[in-house]
Amino acid sequence: MNKKIASRFSGGVALAAAAALALAGCSSSSGGSSSAGGGTTTLKLVVADYGTGPANASATYWNGIVTAFEKAHPTIKVTVTSIPWTNFDQQVQTMIQNKQYPDVTEGDYFSNYAKDGLLYSAADVLSDPANLLPAFKTQGTYSGTQYGMPFTTSSRTLFYNKKLFAQAGIAAAPQTWADVQADAAKIKKLGKVGFGLPLGAEEAQAESLLWMLGDGGGYQTGGKYTINSPANVSAFTFLKGLVSAGDTEPNPGTVNRTDLWKQFAEGTVGMINGSPALIPIIQSAHVLTDSDWTSVPIAGKAGPLTTTLGVCDNVAAFKSNGHQAQIKEFLDFAYQDKYQLAFDKEYDLLPATTSATKALASDSVFSPFLTALPNSVQYPSDTSWANVKTKVQQTIGTAVTGTPGTVLSQLEQAAMSAS
Amino acid sequence: MSALRRLSPLLWLGPAVALIGVAVLWPVVVMVQSSFQAIGGEGFVAGYNGTANFRHLFDEPDFVSVLQRTLLWVVVVVVVTMLISLALAQLFHQRFPGRTVTRWALIIPWAASVMMTALIFRWALDPNVGVINVILHHLGVVKQLGSGQADWLGNPTSALAWMMAVAVFVSLPFTTYAILSGLQGIPDDVYEAAAIDGATSWKAYLAVTMPLLRPAILVATLINVINVFNSFPIIWEMTRGGPGYDTATSTIFMVDLKQGDVGESAAMSVINFLLVIVIVVVYLATTRWKEQVDR
Repeated sequence: MNKKIASRFSGGVALAAAAALALAGCSSSSGGSSSAGGGTTTLKLVVADYGTGPANASATYWNGIVTAFEKAHPTIKVTVTSIPWTNFDQQVQTMIQNKQYPDVTEGDYFSNYAKDGLLYSAADVLSDPANLLPAFKTQGTYSGTQYGMPFTTSSRTLFYNKKLFAQAGIAAAPQTWADVQADAAKIKKLGKVGFGLPLGAEEAQAESLLWMLGDGGGYQTGGKYTINSPANVSAFTFLKGLVSAGDTEPNPGTVNRTDLWKQFAEGTVGMINGSPALIPIIQSAHVLTDSDWTSVPIAGKAGPLTTTLGVCDNVAAFKSNGHQAQIKEFLDFAYQDKYQLAFDKEYDLLPATTSATKALASDSVFSPFLTALPNSVQYPSDTSWANVKTKVQQTIGTAVTGTPGTVLSQLEQAAMSAS
Repeated sequence: MSALRRLSPLLWLGPAVALIGVAVLWPVVVMVQSSFQAIGGEGFVAGYNGTANFRHLFDEPDFVSVLQRTLLWVVVVVVVTMLISLALAQLFHQRFPGRTVTRWALIIPWAASVMMTALIFRWALDPNVGVINVILHHLGVVKQLGSGQADWLGNPTSALAWMMAVAVFVSLPFTTYAILSGLQGIPDDVYEAAAIDGATSWKAYLAVTMPLLRPAILVATLINVINVFNSFPIIWEMTRGGPGYDTATSTIFMVDLKQGDVGESAAMSVINFLLVIVIVVVYLATTRWKEQVDR
């Protein structure tokens, strides 16, 4: 090879080295701006998508509100960005890390945003913050002030396929862990999945908590992380037995809720823990009729749970763009009862305001869920939860294939060092 | 005037140097700086953190296994890619009807977005309805759909094997073209001379083609190593590194850490960066690339 080619070649190597530098030091960023021009303010609204497809996408719901709102408030424009639940936390986090703040988010809220002074309080941006359901106040509160504003709520119940139960010769609803195990084994013999156990990264923290509660456990005791408590270990030891007997879908640690709910709707799963949001999925699959399935309180170790996981998704209002007045106009508008109820009808979720709850109290489908809400158990509300939740989502599923005690103690250590 | 004249090369070099400085060197500086700062999940710098980020990282129970897996991932994907590409390039170097079309077709895995390719494979491997599983079921390989056996991506070993196959698939076009261009640069007369000396075609391949291909192989391997090491979309789309971190490479691990602790994530990036440099330097040293290119 002659000198000329050689130098060109080493240039290639240099280029490769430069590419290595560029790739290793890679950072992500995305565009996004909110401009104020000609007296018009643009609010950036980022919402989680609760829909199961284009037909009931949450963007449609929000665009409906926005259209009506913009008509009433010509100087305020609202752009809607909707993000699938699987990516919601991460994308919002990335926006914040990159200092591209949204004005309003609806989905998960974390108290560390409040701690860092990024948020307006509920009183700053709502005319009537007292109308928000008091049961969820603690979760949105950071050092005495409420920042997370519940927008929609739900509680969990155990769904089961009555058709499969009849085929397997099971008469009674599952109430205890032993029932779950026996029934799942019988359904497995039909060639179906006995119990659907979604411990994949999407929502492993919810499924896990439902089992922890079954033996009196949970993520925290008295505000301290006790993930490795004997009760939690016993719950995961039970699950491990269930998994190794083949009574669940294979490899629960890699399976997400969305996929498994669809399979339940297709009639191939015997039992699964679900929220009212599972109902429209069942209906749209057109496989199970309303009499083919039912839902009962979550099964515990000794009997059905008297408390359940109550989840609320929150609205958070970010300070950074300084749009307090406009955000207040928008949130007052969006929190009207008719929009609360429309959201709940669309996704079979529950309202998050006292006035909307009153309007729903007579509804036969919703009232059992509503009465369960006030004494529901919620996720930890401290600032380390965002970090702990990520770790739980990623790794807790390995507890049902590995050693439960080891996985849970690693998580507890990680949680302690994060708090 | 002559002083100005001496400066004129700067005019031509300037933009490129500035680009490398801003797009390559500056991020590296920020990365190293971040790895020594306390930065939480919201991206706020809470001051100097000493070596705590690194200590945290080394204490992660999955750290060592993630690194081992990363090395395995790079070695297997690059070696298999190179072997298949050598054969493919040889094939495309022959004259046969339809050669132009097939050469064009080879671009497809390269032109398609890696993320889309990974998604398509994930769907095709769905344990209940994935097309690969349905075919394997008809062939009798997969006994029952929806079973543990059909859940290729749920088991860390088979998931890693499938993802490696996808990584090889998307690396083939570039590698094959690099080797093909090397093959086309070899003059015919050396083969004539080899034939006169009585070399069989296999002997000619080993004694003539391979040595002359070395520069092309060298560059292709190097770029592949860097690419595969930092490969992100395939694993992210197919398993997200799960179950747990059992299929995560260091890049996936870094992204996952970033959600909760940007500082620790930056520490992982620094380790990643050093590893790439070490691997490249060791590779260049063992292949004595200077002799290759200066000859």
